[in-house]
Amino acid sequence: MAKWRINNVRIAGVSACVPENVVATEDIDIMTPEEAETFNKTVGIKRRHIADESVCASDMCQKAAEKLLEELGWERDSIDVLIFESVTGDYKTPPTSCLLQDRMGLPDTTFCLDMPMGCCGCLYAITVGSNLLTTGNVKRALLLIGDTALRMGSMKDKSRVPLFGDCGTAVALEYDPSAGEIVVDFHTMGSGYEALMTPHGGFRRPATPESFVEEDFGNGIVRAPIHTMINGMNVFSFAISKPPKSVDKFMADEGIDRNTDVDYFLIHQANKMIVDRVVKKLKLPLDKVPYNLEEYGNLGGASIPSLMVTRLRDRLTAGSCRLLMSSFGLGLSWGTMSATVGPMVIPEVQYI
Amino acid sequence: MNNIDKFNGIFTEVFGVAADALGDGFSKDTVEQWDSVHQLNLVSLAEEAFDIMLDPEDIMAFTSYANAKEIVANQGIEF
Repeated sequence: MAKWRINNVRIAGVSACVPENVVATEDIDIMTPEEAETFNKTVGIKRRHIADESVCASDMCQKAAEKLLEELGWERDSIDVLIFESVTGDYKTPPTSCLLQDRMGLPDTTFCLDMPMGCCGCLYAITVGSNLLTTGNVKRALLLIGDTALRMGSMKDKSRVPLFGDCGTAVALEYDPSAGEIVVDFHTMGSGYEALMTPHGGFRRPATPESFVEEDFGNGIVRAPIHTMINGMNVFSFAISKPPKSVDKFMADEGIDRNTDVDYFLIHQANKMIVDRVVKKLKLPLDKVPYNLEEYGNLGGASIPSLMVTRLRDRLTAGSCRLLMSSFGLGLSWGTMSATVGPMVIPEVQYI
Repeated sequence: MNNIDKFNGIFTEVFGVAADALGDGFSKDTVEQWDSVHQLNLVSLAEEAFDIMLDPEDIMAFTSYANAKEIVANQGIEF
């Protein structure tokens, strides 16, 4: 069973960086005004920040991390671990975390690791980073979590283009024996992998000229096998069933009363229909469930840290909060995490 | 309201049909409106009405009145 109780690790700070360019749903050229209006009402994503092609996820993460280091007052030489969580790294090889070690001027003693885990990325990165720190052998970790997911797909795919925004985040972890316990629980349903995938371009199906041949699937979906695709019905049925069941069990196992023991529930901002459904199924108090999808879209792994920065900054910088986090996505994978955090350092949102 | 009336009410609400239109022949193959949005609405309303949480395979199999009834019955709901 993939469940950890992690002690001695404090989340010291969180930061986020988004592109300055904002795209409203009405500005997406493949959507009619009527479709845009319906999309805004039902899916709930009204705007998203989109990077131009010269900006990678690592650039946004780097900017977020450098601001965070500055506000934390951490010397670069004090960083022991750098994790880059993204499905949109700079190159297929080498690992982007190694490039970031150099670009950020981190010491050559830094342990670098790439993790391509998609929408659960933040919880994976905190789990791995915290487990590396918990013994005290290493003291500080930077988790850089971000994606430029829009560019993975076809720009003629209405099932995908309006959903995603670009963002890079940074989470700072520190060894601290006085820190509250982090409890995390992961699940995987690999049988559902085809719900969210990029069929060609890996070593199972290397890119060939056929990989770039577009097909019209109807309903406004035109894409080629090199593009990332979403099987909406499969994703929806997964997202509204497995994660809430796990959160429910997690709360029961940990003796958590949803009305009194949790300050905020951070739910991966996939889209409004899914988040609303998860919230309703779990009977969560609405005033404890922040949303930012209307302004940023689905940010993949950066979704949960972006909620902390954009919606909970005042509260998390002022004092202690108990958070219960739920994320779900690629794999298919899903996780639930409880952590008492704060006060922590959270710079204002950075722009690139 | 008994369980069968509650169950039928979900279908009449989602499809705007009278209860006597419902039966084993009422399915994705015979009802033109039955798309993924309607199917997910059915699932959502059924989960709320009976306080159950369905698995992904159940949601995908919610493709006919008869299947849906069997899926809900498997959650311990008696009709």
